Amino acid sequence: MGDKIKALWRKISWAWSPESERESSEAIVKNLWLHWFPAKVARVSMDWNYSFWLGTASAALLLILTVTGVMLMFFYVPSTERAYGSIKDLQYAVSFGRLLRNQHRWAAELMVAVVYIHMARVFFTGAYRGTRAINWVVGVVLFLATLLLSFTGYLLPWDQLAFWAITVGTSIAKQAPVVGPTMQFLLLGGHEIGQQTLLRFYVMHVFFLPVLALVLFAYHMWRVRKDGGLAAIERVRDERAMVPKAVPTTKSYSLFGITPGTSVQVMSSTGLEESDQVFSSPNMSRRIALVFLVVFNITLLAALLFNAPLEGLANPSITPNPAKAPWYFVWLQELVASTTFRLGGFTISGGLLGGILLPGFLLAVLTLWPWIDRSPLRTEGRWLPPERRRQNATFAVATLVIIVLIVVGVYLRGPYWRIYWPGQPRPEMPRLY
Amino acid sequence: MAEKYESFEAKDFGWMVAMSILFFVLVAVGFWLEFSTDWGSYQQEFPQLLGHYGKVEDARNFRAGIKQIWIPKIGVTDRCITCHLGYEWASVLPATISKPLKPHPMNDWLAKHEFARFGCTPCHGGDGSATTLAGGHQGGRGWDDPMLSRALAAKYGLTMDEMIQMRCNFCHRHDAATPAMEEINLAKVLFKKKKCQVCHVVEGQGGVTGPDLTYEADRNPELLNFAHVQGPHTMFNWNVQHLTKASAVSPATQMPDFNMKPEESRALTLMLLSWRRLPYPPEYIPDPELAAAAMQPSPTPTATPSPAATPGAR
Repeated sequence: MGDKIKALWRKISWAWSPESERESSEAIVKNLWLHWFPAKVARVSMDWNYSFWLGTASAALLLILTVTGVMLMFFYVPSTERAYGSIKDLQYAVSFGRLLRNQHRWAAELMVAVVYIHMARVFFTGAYRGTRAINWVVGVVLFLATLLLSFTGYLLPWDQLAFWAITVGTSIAKQAPVVGPTMQFLLLGGHEIGQQTLLRFYVMHVFFLPVLALVLFAYHMWRVRKDGGLAAIERVRDERAMVPKAVPTTKSYSLFGITPGTSVQVMSSTGLEESDQVFSSPNMSRRIALVFLVVFNITLLAALLFNAPLEGLANPSITPNPAKAPWYFVWLQELVASTTFRLGGFTISGGLLGGILLPGFLLAVLTLWPWIDRSPLRTEGRWLPPERRRQNATFAVATLVIIVLIVVGVYLRGPYWRIYWPGQPRPEMPRLY
Repeated sequence: MAEKYESFEAKDFGWMVAMSILFFVLVAVGFWLEFSTDWGSYQQEFPQLLGHYGKVEDARNFRAGIKQIWIPKIGVTDRCITCHLGYEWASVLPATISKPLKPHPMNDWLAKHEFARFGCTPCHGGDGSATTLAGGHQGGRGWDDPMLSRALAAKYGLTMDEMIQMRCNFCHRHDAATPAMEEINLAKVLFKKKKCQVCHVVEGQGGVTGPDLTYEADRNPELLNFAHVQGPHTMFNWNVQHLTKASAVSPATQMPDFNMKPEESRALTLMLLSWRRLPYPPEYIPDPELAAAAMQPSPTPTATPSPAATPGAR
């Protein structure tokens, strides 16, 4: 009996504690969810302080968002009459509804940040060279998909915050030359935000963008595998190539055997040695599980501590003062506001420069960076190498400027878009009674 | 397992255990928060109270949980009664019971305004969907329709019953006069006496010197100038002070200074702030003739109907 239970336990748990190299490989190859991983993985790829596992954290957030999102779909009604009420129901009457919405909200906000930091990590380690350039571009598209997912979700509660944030966002889109008005018309499904906009954003949010993100995510992972793993292994390969291998004492049965001199020898390693690798199961699968658990705990803790914002019902005739875009677009709003100036009676809108040209330029440069980068190839997979000091500094400064603009826009901008320092009293906005 | 391959088990196992424990703790906290509600203790107390006053059967049939009055016709989902459980038990429970369980006073008008047809928020304001103390009474951030509490009414020198008349007038707008709505009745008399419609359009009738007042309460309060308003910047204060002395609030205005008494400008403000677009279907709007008849028991109605009460107007 005891043996039978032991055998049964073994059947369940063998993948987590493989007793042979064969079992360890099969734990990956025979598993639907893990078979896209290699059976062995480079130790440097497993390092916490090389990749910080930010890509895995992004995937964990995508999973959390998908699961909580599907559950929210059972309650949410994408109609201008029912949307706000259904969010109130989630907030107050549905079992665990508030927790569900909170976790979805904070995971979404966190995902924008984590995906960006993941991208910054790839930039700082120069991990986009050679064939990895394709994956860099895919990654940029995935980042845009994340932003759009968050942005489309922002409208769905149909409260004042949502309504006016989307008004700001889509008005910026309108400033694009030639296609701007058409783009805004397509986004809104009309000339102003209404039922059509809500439905469009809903379908984009729950179907098209998640499908796009999932397909690109799968391709992203497949490319990582095809590129040989994380760029950190290039560093190891370089190091291996520098170390001569001991010349093996082999016998040759060819004509070389009777001529003086040595036969053809591989003088140094061309790839990873066995000592550079660990078995994916259970080392990597355990770490992936750990990252998922950490990310889940962080989002759950945030959901327990803070309520997702929900203001009054959307009211097209009353604009909150100030109306702000979602935080990840506030830097654009800030740019638009600071590039708008008055000349006599004319107002020159900063919408085109701050809202379209500058972010469009930044995006184009970001996408094409692998082909702009001229640093030596051996810098690949290393953190902040001196040869890349200038471009890393450029990226860091650009990021810092964006962060400063976001902080100014979110925390310092008050009524009439004026700056109010912390502690400085803000004017009392009029209320009904 | 072969020794030449490193295992990370020793490095990661502790973290795995710690994170798993944290996970269970957080889930436990989630459950605890879900079941520690603002209304739980009141719902434990209420059946005991019913039993104490002889309603043993009702006490036994009481089921705990969120309770609501749901009237889709007028967009009402009022969960106020999740805490205010005694609301319909005025015949059994004494009025001396402390706050949330206290029965609603049996006012004269309650017979015509049944709980099942009107709910709570159409008269009292507040966020009916909420099941928390703060959420229901004040509403969240950006909620501009707080409950008309005693404290709020006192800020404007009114009693709660007087302030609520503003909401009565949502539906009773076209009554010449309505029983028990003294503030609004006074305002309606003043509105005619001061000839407001010489300058202001109301429901399509009146002069065009001043702004249209038909939906005065829907105006964006930010569009008003508060530079010369004393006290908190509210539309209520603006209207009271503007009606008392228009030139003091808007120096460039053409509106004459009526020098009204405070109670008169308060009454007119209550009426003005009752004028909004509302979701109530026609069957909720009372017949103005009936209200006039209730005011004057004499068989021949003497008051001429106001222009606002002409057929076709809401």
